[in-house]
Amino acid sequence: MSSLRSVVGILSLTRSLGCPITVQTHRHIKRWVAPTLRELAHRQKKLGPQKPEPRAGFVEWNERSELFAFGKRLGESFQLPLLQRAFTEKAFARVEEEKRRKLGIEENDLHILDNEDLVEKGRHISKAYVEAFLQHQMPKVPKEGLVEISNHLLSTDTLAHVSSHLGTKDLIHSTEYPPSKESLAESLQAVIGALADSSGVERAFLFVRDFICTQLNQKDLLDIWTPEEPLQLLEKICAERKLGDPEPRLLGDCGKNTVLAAYQVGIYGNRQLLGQGFGEDVQTATETAAIDALQRIFDTHENRRPFDFGLQLETQNVRLA
Amino acid sequence: MSNSHLFLKSGFPRAPLQNGLGRYVCQLQRITLKFCKNNGSSRGMRDFIENHLLDFAKENPGIVVYVKPRRHRTPVLVGEYLNGDREWLSCRNSTQEEISKWIDLLKTQNGSSSSLRLRKMWHTDVPSIQGPWTPFLLRSPEAQDQKYPSEESSKPLDIPQTATEKLIELFRQQQLEAGESANEVLSKKRAE
Repeated sequence: MSSLRSVVGILSLTRSLGCPITVQTHRHIKRWVAPTLRELAHRQKKLGPQKPEPRAGFVEWNERSELFAFGKRLGESFQLPLLQRAFTEKAFARVEEEKRRKLGIEENDLHILDNEDLVEKGRHISKAYVEAFLQHQMPKVPKEGLVEISNHLLSTDTLAHVSSHLGTKDLIHSTEYPPSKESLAESLQAVIGALADSSGVERAFLFVRDFICTQLNQKDLLDIWTPEEPLQLLEKICAERKLGDPEPRLLGDCGKNTVLAAYQVGIYGNRQLLGQGFGEDVQTATETAAIDALQRIFDTHENRRPFDFGLQLETQNVRLA
Repeated sequence: MSNSHLFLKSGFPRAPLQNGLGRYVCQLQRITLKFCKNNGSSRGMRDFIENHLLDFAKENPGIVVYVKPRRHRTPVLVGEYLNGDREWLSCRNSTQEEISKWIDLLKTQNGSSSSLRLRKMWHTDVPSIQGPWTPFLLRSPEAQDQKYPSEESSKPLDIPQTATEKLIELFRQQQLEAGESANEVLSKKRAE
């Protein structure tokens, strides 16, 4: 329609000028499109890879609704000011204050609350709950193992993974976008702190159980914690738990004096088989057998009973030291 | 699968963040409805916004809904997921029922499903609960004190009967039927 109108317009223009009538045909192939796109692509290539745009800068963005939905999505009710504070990083708050000071805003209105205390509180709560959970679920594992596993669960990587899958990435007020792993992890801890402040520490415990402890599901615990010197540890544990002196014995071998030699060693205590393992020489086989025996004693082998994530620990059992 | 799917990202059906193990989290975090206020192609979208959008927003407080009118453009649904995926759906000339169904799909999936080719319909982190087989597994007790090299175990397990052996066996049978005399014939033949 518009093309027809333009043709008519051109015709009328030529007629009014008094020139002889020339037939102006419409060019259907827009010959400027390809060169323009090519030029745009060329410029984009010259600029190199660009950082992603923060979602908060889009037109369709409403901070309040996003915060509200964040709480509802997780099935929690947060106090929105607390949640907003949980997502404000310290560095960001200082930078923002500086900006405001330059604009000449009064000192009283300058101060922006940051999430430092909430992070500390959340860290405290998550550590206490994870330790209590592990203690309850794996009572046979010694203290050093529990410490390793809880360190894994509360490491920056794991927390950042959880945090980014809960949708904190777009909500964090950070000096950089996308936010670093540290700020993702800290914001998750701050959210836990804010939850404890908004709806009580019991809800915060359940939050830790549902989102942090479940990361243990289907994980190989040997990847998280492998004893440094398994034989010595096994001797110590056997003495403690009265399982007799652990005694490695050769169960089988094949391909001796070849590159593909394999030895199978079993470890016995009180004439009972504690564990068995393979290795390319007797030394390695004994060590793997010792690790296997430890896994059986600690109840951490791969076909162990699955963790119970529906468990509700009594609040007095969680030591908030 | 056609040729156009060869370079599609492939994967397995996975629940992100062990979803549903602790509690279920709806993976659609926000949805944007873009439509035109007077174009006919947006009619269904306008009907949906008028009749169903408020109920949808009330039922799903965890999903942020943005409504974006724009002139003379096709109506569009954009869903954003917790894993960072963004799914764009054209709703040109769709009815409000169709749009309801599409939104229901976006709500129940955990990422942009149209951009993932499923390699299998299932996935497990632990493929075998028995562990791998080794030659040391379930050995017979006799194998324990076998000395090698041994004559017995160096033989193949199935040696077929040779033609000579078969002939001799046939001959023995005949001999049994015929009686003693045949035996003498055989010894005579051998002597020759």
